[in-house]
Amino acid sequence: MTTVAGTLQKKINRTPVLASWLTLLFAMAGIGLVSGALVFINGLAITNLTNRVPWGLWITVDLSAIALGAGAFSLSAIAYIFRVKSFRKISRMAVYVGLVGYTSAMLALLMDIGRPDRFWHPTVYWNIHSVLWEITMCVILYSSVLMVEFAPILLESKFMQRIFPRGPQIGHFLHSLTPVVAVIGLGLSLLHQSSLGATYGVLVARPIWFKPSMPVMFITSAVAAGATFTLAITVIYENLIRERQISVSLRNQVAAFAGLTMMAYLYLKLWDFLATAYYSHLPSRVDDMHLLESTTPYGTTFWWIEVLFGALLPAVILLTPRLRNVDMWLVVAMLMAVLGIIANRWNVTLSGLIVPMDWSPGVADLLPVNRYTPSLVEIGVSIGVLGYALLMFTFGLRYLPMFPDEDEHH
Amino acid sequence: MSEEKFITRRQFIQMMTGLGASLATAAALSEVEVLRKLIEDELALELPEVAHEGTHAAAEGSGHRWGMVINLRTCIGCDYCVYACQAVNDVPDDMRWNVHFIDETATGDVFHVTRPCLHCQDAPCVAVCPVGATYVRDDGIVIMDYDKCIGCRYCQVACPYGARSFNWESREGPSGYQAVWGEAEVERRPRGVAEKCTFCVQRIDRGLAQGLIPGLDRAATPACVNICPVEARTFGDLNDPNSRISQVIRSNPTFRLREELGTEPNVYYIPPEGLTL
Repeated sequence: MTTVAGTLQKKINRTPVLASWLTLLFAMAGIGLVSGALVFINGLAITNLTNRVPWGLWITVDLSAIALGAGAFSLSAIAYIFRVKSFRKISRMAVYVGLVGYTSAMLALLMDIGRPDRFWHPTVYWNIHSVLWEITMCVILYSSVLMVEFAPILLESKFMQRIFPRGPQIGHFLHSLTPVVAVIGLGLSLLHQSSLGATYGVLVARPIWFKPSMPVMFITSAVAAGATFTLAITVIYENLIRERQISVSLRNQVAAFAGLTMMAYLYLKLWDFLATAYYSHLPSRVDDMHLLESTTPYGTTFWWIEVLFGALLPAVILLTPRLRNVDMWLVVAMLMAVLGIIANRWNVTLSGLIVPMDWSPGVADLLPVNRYTPSLVEIGVSIGVLGYALLMFTFGLRYLPMFPDEDEHH
Repeated sequence: MSEEKFITRRQFIQMMTGLGASLATAAALSEVEVLRKLIEDELALELPEVAHEGTHAAAEGSGHRWGMVINLRTCIGCDYCVYACQAVNDVPDDMRWNVHFIDETATGDVFHVTRPCLHCQDAPCVAVCPVGATYVRDDGIVIMDYDKCIGCRYCQVACPYGARSFNWESREGPSGYQAVWGEAEVERRPRGVAEKCTFCVQRIDRGLAQGLIPGLDRAATPACVNICPVEARTFGDLNDPNSRISQVIRSNPTFRLREELGTEPNVYYIPPEGLTL
């Protein structure tokens, strides 16, 4: 791994490309810090969130970041629970993507809650009937799992070895716990990745959301997009250092896994559509969907961005050997899958909130269709979170032993 | 920063005019003699502090179930209940705990609907709160613990009636309705927490401690009920078959909002003429 870092240093040290890239990322993080400070000072009044649309862009960022981090638990489970040893080579990258995803989500969430000083309350004041409580606990516990899985990577880095020579030994011990940790991680992830969908799916108040398919579609899409994302980050890194890190067969395996999961997601999505919109006509849901489609671009973004560009096309690329073996196509598939996840989380969140609830006993439409466009600070914070994530990837790939030699462990 | 909120100048002027108009109407209405008396009665109420007021402990094992009947036949849409609520509960001017809408029947007849929090016995807002900051008391009142709330707003998303509001910013000065419609009886909520109608829980807890009967004694009855000039709102104990509210429910057709959701609200409505349910 020293060779990796060495190669990396030789390749990109003192190059203007890296310097400008980092400048861009720090600028993004700076925008995020300023926006975040503005929110802390002025409160959420400076967002475009309202009592009618209390959730918006930041929730989309949270959900997307957590979904894209799902490669961590799924690929670790394949490597260490189902013992497909070849997957071990990419499991560190997956863990790191997970860590970046979950910490990004926490950053956005901290901005989003009205009392960030009370973020710890769910750990002390329990409401076990709340899916959001379960999600909070799982996310906190799972972040600890990710820390345990990440520790060996950090301890083996050149820098840590210099200041803490015994690090690799401890790292080795922690790494030997991986199978157990992977089981815990799998359990926690299966819970909260689904519950994030249930957050919407259990609400009887809003017919567009209220359906049992929500949790299942959330976790399936997260596993598919998360695995695609991890694979593509690896391929981008390989291109940057001009050196392959994972074998062609592993690449094919991961791509096939991601592609098949994406097909499973599409299958669920198809039946969700058929069951709730085509073969059945629940009046409240029909009315709400009609209102949504006639007043917003939901119909277009759903079918074109979520389904076609966001899931079907990337699945085709991932499942076609001739395409997935071309780096460019793999990166394209990843970008489309990421776009698909973001569009889906945005559509799910906003579709239920944009349509006003009809609780009145009469026939008059009491409330107009709600509107929401993120404000500048909301966009600023989101840019900051993206900047943070990209900085983490840049420094992580540059300084951490992400792809150790296979014989190094076991 | 209002230009970032994408509110057009026209909308802004409309909003300001609306707010101004409602405040002016409120002030003008207060000069009507009958109403003047109602307001004076409200202002004359003496409400001493009581231990555990507004908390779970105050209602434990009380055997009561507080509820309300709103008669849509008699409601004239005067908005007094809205104004009294704003003043007594120190609700920000751009927020409503108790709302008024103009609705119509299938045959086109206009009627007025007002909606406090419905105090559901199986409340979705209570089920979803990750920290248990909102809860159903033993006496059926759904209230908030503002010290626990983290401001995630899931309760707002979950409430089937849009009855919950969020404190988007901190504010200074009195509410625009307090000069005329009554004084604040409860503490102002901090920025970043959710809030909602409490059935004026402070009056119920203090009143019961004094031996008063909520729904009969004004000092123990929600402000919106006291102020109604046509007595469209009846408050009382749903568990007591002899209470006025139980009698009203027995002798009138009633319904509850979105009953099919199974939320079991404690607020009942008497339908207006011509409304088929």
